[in-house]
Amino acid sequence: MIYQVSHKTIYRYRSPVSFGNHVACLSPRSLPHHACEWSELQIDPPPSNRHERIDYFGNRLTLFSISDPHSELKVEARSRVNVDSEFRKWGDASASWEETAASVPSDRSRSGLDAYQFAFESPRIRLNESFARYARLSFRTGRPFGEALLDLTARMHQEFRFDGNATNVRTTPDDVFRLKRGVCQDFAHVQIACLRSIGLPARYVSGYLRTYSAAGGAQLAGGDVSHAWVATYCANAGWLEVDPTNNIVPSEGHVTLAWGRDYGDISPLRGIILGGGREHSLEVRVHLQPAA
Amino acid sequence: MLTDLLQLPLRDGIVYDELSADGAAPRPHWKAFVDALQQMPAAELANRWARAERRIHENGVTYNMYGAPEGANRPWRTDLLPLLIDGCEWGSIETGLIQYSRLFELILQDLYGPQKLLTGRLLPPELVFANPAFLRPIAGRQAAQHSFLHLIALDLARSPNGQWWVVAHRTQAPSGAGYALENRMIVADALPELFSSTHVERLDGFFREQRQALANLARRDDAHIVLLTPGPLNETYFEHAYLARYLGITLVEGSDLTVRDRFVYMKTVEGLKRVDVILRRVDDSFCDPLELRADSLLGVSGLVDAALAGNVKLANALGSGLIETAGVLPFLPDLCRHLLQQDLQLPSVATWWCGQDKERGWVIEHLNDLVVKPAFPARMTHMEPAFGAELSSSERAQLVAQLNSHPFDFVAQESVALSKAPVWDRGHIYTRGLMLRAFVMNTGSGWQVLPGGLVRVAAAEDGNVVSIQRGGHSKDAWIVSSMSREQPGITLSTDQALELRRSGRDLPSRAADNLFWLGRYIERAENITRLLRTSLSRVRRADRAELHCLARLHRCFGTSHSTLPEVGQPDAVALENEFVSLMTDQNRSESLQSVLDEVRRVGGNVRERLSADMTRLIGQLSEAIAVEEYMLFAERTALLSGCLELLSAFSGMERENLTRGTGWLFLSLGRRLERAFYTVRYLQEIRKPLNPEDWPLLEQLLEVADSSITYRLRYYTSLHAIAVLDLLMLDESNPRSLDFQLSHLADLYRKLPRTLEDDARAIESALARMRSIDLGRIESASVEGCEAQEARLSQILDEIKHLLPSCSDNLSRTYFSHVRTWPISIGE
Repeated sequence: MIYQVSHKTIYRYRSPVSFGNHVACLSPRSLPHHACEWSELQIDPPPSNRHERIDYFGNRLTLFSISDPHSELKVEARSRVNVDSEFRKWGDASASWEETAASVPSDRSRSGLDAYQFAFESPRIRLNESFARYARLSFRTGRPFGEALLDLTARMHQEFRFDGNATNVRTTPDDVFRLKRGVCQDFAHVQIACLRSIGLPARYVSGYLRTYSAAGGAQLAGGDVSHAWVATYCANAGWLEVDPTNNIVPSEGHVTLAWGRDYGDISPLRGIILGGGREHSLEVRVHLQPAA
Repeated sequence: MLTDLLQLPLRDGIVYDELSADGAAPRPHWKAFVDALQQMPAAELANRWARAERRIHENGVTYNMYGAPEGANRPWRTDLLPLLIDGCEWGSIETGLIQYSRLFELILQDLYGPQKLLTGRLLPPELVFANPAFLRPIAGRQAAQHSFLHLIALDLARSPNGQWWVVAHRTQAPSGAGYALENRMIVADALPELFSSTHVERLDGFFREQRQALANLARRDDAHIVLLTPGPLNETYFEHAYLARYLGITLVEGSDLTVRDRFVYMKTVEGLKRVDVILRRVDDSFCDPLELRADSLLGVSGLVDAALAGNVKLANALGSGLIETAGVLPFLPDLCRHLLQQDLQLPSVATWWCGQDKERGWVIEHLNDLVVKPAFPARMTHMEPAFGAELSSSERAQLVAQLNSHPFDFVAQESVALSKAPVWDRGHIYTRGLMLRAFVMNTGSGWQVLPGGLVRVAAAEDGNVVSIQRGGHSKDAWIVSSMSREQPGITLSTDQALELRRSGRDLPSRAADNLFWLGRYIERAENITRLLRTSLSRVRRADRAELHCLARLHRCFGTSHSTLPEVGQPDAVALENEFVSLMTDQNRSESLQSVLDEVRRVGGNVRERLSADMTRLIGQLSEAIAVEEYMLFAERTALLSGCLELLSAFSGMERENLTRGTGWLFLSLGRRLERAFYTVRYLQEIRKPLNPEDWPLLEQLLEVADSSITYRLRYYTSLHAIAVLDLLMLDESNPRSLDFQLSHLADLYRKLPRTLEDDARAIESALARMRSIDLGRIESASVEGCEAQEARLSQILDEIKHLLPSCSDNLSRTYFSHVRTWPISIGE
C-alpha cells in the first residue's frame, strides 16, 4: 500500500514571536517493508537555519530557527510511504511470557540491550504496582506472550473510553488510568506503563492511521490527527505492535513516523520561543490518502 | 595563655587522629605548625580571627541554604585551623585521584559510544538505562567533544587505620574549588607566619592552568569563555562569581545566552558576541529546554545542538552526570583492571548497588551497619541518606519495600568512622570528624590535582555526616612539603606574542542592567541619607517655622506611604517618627534600609565586576544603619554620617578606580539620572512661592545638596532663593547642580554603543532651554517679564521631571529588556 501523507501544524500567537528554536519529528522512518520514498518539510516563515539529525532512537529530526518576528508558524510535512503486508508481521509469540521476559535483562547482545532499555521508567511514564496488577490479569502464569498481549489490548479497549476532552498533553498515565478516558496517546502511555511494570520492554510509536479499511470496515479513531500505539519486545518474535485505541494489530493501515520511550521523546513539533504572549492556539490537520 | 592543641579532651583512639598519633606529640608534618601556633598568645589569635570573620562577612562570602531559617546568603563558615596533610602521603593520594579521573573519562567515552562495557558485562545496563542522567541526545555523538571531563571532585574520608577512601564523586559541575581558594586567602591572611614557615603548596598555579585548559578547549585563538550559573539563588552562587572574577571570565545566566545558527552568543549591550567555551555550573538536564528538560529556565535553548555541532565546548561536557551515580563504585576495581590494566590504588568505600539480587539481599540483612542512598539523586531529590541503625521498625519495613520495588534506584554504603582534627572556635578547641573534597582537572595533556581542597567538618561532636548544606563548616587543607617550593606569583610568558588590550570583555546586558540600577540605588541612598541627616538633626530643636519647612523638605522623599497626618501641620513627634520610619522601616520600599538592601542585591548580582573593596563597602553599607531597639536619638545622625562616609568612599572608588568602560558608563548613567531626579525635586520646592518664614528651607536644601559651603563663600549668610536656584540649577561647576547632571548625561549618551538619538537630543534641548532662563529677571519683581520667566522655569522643571523616567525606560527597553523575557516552551 502506498500513501501520500500531509501533516499540517499551525501555531497562532497572541503577540509576535521574536525568535524561536524548534525541533520537528515529522519525517517518517524508513524500515524494512516500510519505505519512505520521499518526504519534505515546508516551514513558514522561512527559517534562518535548518538541518536534519538522526536521533538516538533512529528517528529523523529537523531542527530549525526562525529569527524574523512572526505571529503564525506553519509547518507542513508531506511524504510518500510504501507499506507492504510483510511489515509488522508477528513472529512466533507462543512461548510463555515469563520465559521471554526473563531472558531480556541478561541478554547483553546489541539488539538485546536495544530492547532492554525500553523496560524502564521514562520522564512521562512512572511505574507503580497498580499498572502491574492490571497487566497481570492478562499476563497470567504460563500464558503465551502473544495471547496475553492481545488480551491486555482488548481489555483496555473495552474499559477505556475515547474522549478528546478528558485529557491534555500533560495528563499523566496515572490520571488516565483512574479516569479510564483519553485519546490514543494516553492509552499508549498506560499500556506501556502496564507492560514495563511487569518487566517487559515497551515503546511508544507515533504515526498515522488509515481511517477505514480497504474492505469498507468500521471507521477507526485517531484518523484526523497523528496517531500513537505501542510496540513491545518478545525475545523470540521481536517487536510486536498493538493499537490499544482500536484493539487491532497494526498492519498495512498504520504508517510509522517515529518511536521513543514516550511522547516526550518524539513530540511532532516542539520549540522554545521568545515573545508570543501568554496564549497561543494550535491547529493540526492530517491527511492520509492511498496514492493513485 | 597559649593555645595548646595537644590538650584536647577527646582522644578516644577509636578514630584516626589527624594531629597526633599518640595523643602526646604532633605528627611530624604538624610539628612546625603547632610550634609556631604555640608562640602566639590566645588573645592575639582571637583578634586575628575576629578580623578574618569580619572580612568573610564584608566580602559577602556566602553559601545559600535551601529552606533554612536564615535562608539565602548564609555567611560562609570556615575554621582558623587548617587540616595539614603530609606531602609524601599526598603524592600517593594524587596518583589515586588521577587514576579515578582517567577511569571516569574512559567509562563516559564508552557509555556514550560503543557501550562495550555493557555488552562485555563489566557494568550492569540498568545503571545507564534507569539513570535519568543518561542524555540520549548526546549518545553516539561524543566525537564533537574531545573529552567529557574538565574538572571532577572526589570526597575522601580517612578510616581509623589511616587509609583514605573515596566516598563520593562529582562529575558534572563540581562545586567547592572556589570556596577552597577563598578559605586559603582567609586563613593564610590570618596566619601569615605559620603559612610561610610550614612550606604549604600553593593553589594559584592550579587555577592558572585551569584558565589555560579552558582556552585550549576553544577552536579559535582569543576564545571567549563564560561561566554559566543558575543565578543568585543557587546555593554556591558566591563561588560562581568568585571564580569568574578570579579566572577573568564572564559570569552569565542562561538568559544572557542565545543560540543562533548553531553558535552560542552572549547578549551584550553592543549586540551578540560569540561564546566559545562554557564552564557550567548548571546541571546536565537543565542546560537546554529544547532538547532536555523543557521546564528549565536555567538553560539555553539550542545548546545541545550547538555542542553537537562542535561550535561550543562545555566543561564538563553535557552528559557527564551519567557516572555521578554511586552505583558505579563497586564496579571500579574490575573496570580499572580492564580499561587501564592497573589495580585501583585508592579504594572506594564499600558500596552495594541494590540492582543486583545477591547484593540487595545482603544489604537488607545488614541494614543496621549501612547507609542507604539514592543511586540517582536527580530522580529522588528529596531523599536523605537513611542510616539503617537509626530507623524505626516501620521506617525499616518501608525502606525494604522500596528496595525491593525499585532496586535500581538505591545504593548502600558502609559508613566510615571519620578521622578527627582540631577545630578552633572562639578560643575553644574541640575535635570534629572531617572529609576532604579533592579536585582533579584535565589540562588537555594530562590531569592535575589541586594541592589542597575543601575540608568539610561534621556539625555534631559524634557526627559522621559532613554537609555544608546542613550546617557544617569548612577548613582549608594544607599540603605540607618537606622543602619549600618556589612558585611564581604571575606567569612570565615568553613564548607567546601578546596582543595588547584596552577594553575588557563585552558587557552582558544583564550586568549592564544591574550596574545601571546599582548607580541609581547608590545615588538614591545618598540623597535619602542626606535628607534624613538634615531632618533628624533639626527636628527636636526646630521652631514652628522650621518644622513647617521640614514638612516641606519631607516632600523631597517622594514617599507615598507617609505616616504623617493627611491634613494640618505635623508636630515634631510625628515628623520625627516619620523620619525614623523612612530610615529603618524595611516594609517601606522607599526607606533607606530598603534602598541599601537593594544596593546589596543588585551589587551581589554583579559582584564579579566590582573590586573586592567595592564589594566590601556594599556589605558594610547594608549594615551601616542597623539600629538597636533603644538607640539614643543622637546616635542616629552619627549613623547617617557613617553611612555617608561609606557612600562617599564608594563614589571615590567609582571615580578613581573603575576604568571608563561600558560597565562604568551604565553605572554613571544610573547615578546621573537619579541625582537629576532628586535635584528637580529640590528645585521644585524652592520654586514654590517662598515666604520669608520659609527661608530655613533654603538652608536645609543647601545642606542636603552639599552646597552650603560654596553658598556661604559666595553670598556670606544672606539667603536668596534666586541665588540658591542658581547654585543648584544652573551652576555648571557645581557637581550637585541640575546643569551638571544633564550635561554629563548628554555626554554619556553620546558614548552609548548604540545611541539613543531622540533621548540624547531631548536632554540637550532641555538643558539649552534651562540655561536660557534669566534668573535675574525673576529676582526683581518689578522687572517686566518676571512672570513669564517664572512660568518658563516651572515649565522646564516639569518637562525634565517627566523626561527623566522616560529616558530610564528607554535605556531599559533598548539594552536590558531582551534578557528579561522568559522563553516559553511549546508543543511539548
